[in-house]
Amino acid sequence: MYSPQDSTVYIVDDDVSVREGMAWLLRTRRLLSDSFDSAEAFLEMLQRNLELGGQPLPQQAGCILLDVRMPGMSGLALFEQLLANGIAQAWPVIFLTGHADVPTAVDSVKRGAFDFCEKPFSDNALVDRVEQALNLSQERLDERLQKGLLQSRLNELTERERDVMRLVVEGLPNKLIADQLDISVRTVEVHRSRVFDKMDVKSAVELANLLRMLA
Amino acid sequence: MKEAGRVNNQGMPPHWTPLTLSRHRLRGLWAMARQHLRSGLVHWQATLDAALPWGSGRHTLWVTLIGLVLAVLVTLVWLAGRYEASQVQAELERDTTDAVSDLRGSLSRQVQVLQALQTQHATPGTWHTEAVNLLRDNRDWLRIETRDLQNHLLAFADSPLRAPSFEHNSRTDMVNEALQACLRAQRFNGPAYSGSYYLPLGEGQGMEVMELCLPQTQGGTLRGFTVVTYSLQELLTERLAPTFGRRNELSFTEADGTRLASAGTQRRGRRVFTAQQLVDLPGTTMVLRMDGRRGEPDLFPNVLTALVTAMSIALITVMVLLAKDSRRRLKAERDLAEALAFRKAMEDSLVTGLRARDLQGRITYVNPAFCQMVGFDASALIGRNAPMPYWPPEMVDEYQQRQAIRLAGNAPPREGFESVFMRQDGTRFPVLIIEAPLISAQGEQTGWMGAMLDISEQRRVEELSRASQERLQATARLATVGEMASLLSHELNQPLAAIASYANGSLNLLKDPEAVPQTLDDVHMALRRIAEQAGRAGRVINSVHDFVRRRDQAREAVAPQALLDAIAPLVNLQARKLRVKVHTRIDPKLPPVWCDRTMVEQVLLNLARNGMQAMDHPECSERVLVLQAKRGASNERQSWVELAVTDVGAGIDPEVADQLFTPFFTTKAEGMGLGLSLCRTVVEQHGGHLAFEPQQPKGTVFRFTLPVAQVTP
Repeated sequence: MYSPQDSTVYIVDDDVSVREGMAWLLRTRRLLSDSFDSAEAFLEMLQRNLELGGQPLPQQAGCILLDVRMPGMSGLALFEQLLANGIAQAWPVIFLTGHADVPTAVDSVKRGAFDFCEKPFSDNALVDRVEQALNLSQERLDERLQKGLLQSRLNELTERERDVMRLVVEGLPNKLIADQLDISVRTVEVHRSRVFDKMDVKSAVELANLLRMLA
Repeated sequence: MKEAGRVNNQGMPPHWTPLTLSRHRLRGLWAMARQHLRSGLVHWQATLDAALPWGSGRHTLWVTLIGLVLAVLVTLVWLAGRYEASQVQAELERDTTDAVSDLRGSLSRQVQVLQALQTQHATPGTWHTEAVNLLRDNRDWLRIETRDLQNHLLAFADSPLRAPSFEHNSRTDMVNEALQACLRAQRFNGPAYSGSYYLPLGEGQGMEVMELCLPQTQGGTLRGFTVVTYSLQELLTERLAPTFGRRNELSFTEADGTRLASAGTQRRGRRVFTAQQLVDLPGTTMVLRMDGRRGEPDLFPNVLTALVTAMSIALITVMVLLAKDSRRRLKAERDLAEALAFRKAMEDSLVTGLRARDLQGRITYVNPAFCQMVGFDASALIGRNAPMPYWPPEMVDEYQQRQAIRLAGNAPPREGFESVFMRQDGTRFPVLIIEAPLISAQGEQTGWMGAMLDISEQRRVEELSRASQERLQATARLATVGEMASLLSHELNQPLAAIASYANGSLNLLKDPEAVPQTLDDVHMALRRIAEQAGRAGRVINSVHDFVRRRDQAREAVAPQALLDAIAPLVNLQARKLRVKVHTRIDPKLPPVWCDRTMVEQVLLNLARNGMQAMDHPECSERVLVLQAKRGASNERQSWVELAVTDVGAGIDPEVADQLFTPFFTTKAEGMGLGLSLCRTVVEQHGGHLAFEPQQPKGTVFRFTLPVAQVTP
């Protein structure tokens, strides 16, 4: 579940009244928003974050409301770029379209956009979709963070511990592991307990689940 | 004959002379002629090129050439004459030499006879008898004497054949010449002759005589002399004339040329050939001269030869020229045949039909393309007069009229005119005819030559391209409409979206139980924004309205005639394709109408097209479309002009009629269903009215009214 304080809705639309109206509506539903008058301005913000030492992928939940038709770089072109650098996966994109653009919007949904919304939109329904998008974003963020954690824990294991872990996950008893690695059963037990400590798990089954998630 | 003489003096054989000479001469002559010819040519060419056109220069060259050839021929004749003359001269010289040796021979024989007389008849009695006998035998002797050493006359005998020459001159004393001769004879111890001298015979007569003195020896001792007197005249007559005198005149001359005696014939001839030979006798010398009088070497045979030569040259030249000419003629014939074949091939391969008519309108020639075009054989067409078999029966009157105009001498337009011909199977096809007067080689007009081009394919292509053009335009119009709709919706969507945002946001706030105190201010602000955005949407709508209003200003005063004229080309194009006759009827003195010209033309075109398409089915045979403009109803404020489009097609079903002006309703496969509804909109925008009604006995008439333009005061 997203937290309204830690998530942002990014509005990209060339029409200032649409931007302002949307931001105001979101605020009445206690959602924070950030507005950009063009695709270029949005990209500039991302770039600036990166320069200030930010991660390549966002560490916050978010969602993008993107107008299809804009002067300069179009919404579709921006979407392509965001797909390419992974932002579109982290922050789901909702297209705002006039009715003539519907086929292109449908097409982009097939390619990975979260949704499209025809102007003039039924606004609270849109805000509902925004909230769903933020939830999705949060989920993806959590998953990504957990994976990162696991990976860092795995990195702490020694080579011998990793060998033992591989065999443990395969379900071998300590005796057979000792035979295979040509070490004593006692040593296997020490390694095994250390692996459980480092990976923060209680049982071999839990460890196997974690590793499956990582794969 | 100086030349011959000179050459002779150099000791050359005389017959050599003319040949060498002629060879030299000829070579020189030829070189000279060549040089002359060359320099002449250069000279002539230079002057002629400068002064005359090349043709007359060539003429002069020919004259020069003929002159040169004549000169060469004359020279040849002359040289041949000279050669002949020199032959005669050589013969004469030979004769003279022979004559001299004959003379010597006979003189020495006479000396022997005298010696015999001396030795055998020493006594005076027999001597005299013998001497007289001898005198009778030798006619050239006048007298024989014997003398002693002191030159005293011992005995003598005169010639019995003539009167004694010496009667009045006893010749007891010896004449000086005889004396000299005897002295010489004594010295030589042999016979000696004296020089000739003149023996006068009295009465102015006389003769040239010569003495021979023969010493008389006995036992080695000189005893006396025998003297014989010769008559030079007789010497010639007796010894030489029988042999040589028949053709020549013989004479003895002195060294200085004085003639002493002569004999032989004196022939008359135009030329005299002379040969002289020295007669060297012991004691004296004489010159024997032979004059041959011969006719001038005959010119005629030489001229004949020359003529034959010239004629042979001429003959060869003529033959060469003939060969050249016939070669040229052959080449020309070949070229002509090729050109003819080329023209025939060209005519046969032409896709343009060609037709020639004489001044009476009869066909005199058609090419294969024309026959193929109309489907008749050439034999079926040639000689035919109007009406032609390829004229469509319904057009015969018109065509006959056209032909009459043509035969009256009026040339058709240069760019050609269009007509319709009929094939043998009855199908009609359009042709483009370009006709021009046929002018014979004598410059007289003998008829009319026409080129026909089957333009049905061209028509079809035109039609196709026009149709595709129209489709394209329709698509473009649709695209424009779509574009405009899209633009308009976008422009309206923006404010509407904002309005929706503010309205929903306000509702959210008002519903919110935990509303903060400043909620009311927020709702205020939102409502202000809503009002602003509503105003913006209104302005978008206004701009659309403005666009429509701008179209209003395109109205102008247009004559109804101009409206109908403007659509005529397009209407006629389709009418030709569907074989519809279009009649236009416009009331005289119609006032101009106040309209948007482009839109009204579009309306007229739409109605005309609908009408023609209504007639495009097989049962409809008499296809007539009437475009009409007349005065409509009027009141004091506004008068109207009514335009009507009438067809004789199938008419309109009642159920269709109800929906006719509904947008997007159509009975046509390709139609959009906008035509009539748009037409009505346009007419109504002009304040007019569009209606239709059935036409009796069949068909439909569409009418609409347009306001008459107010005359601006």
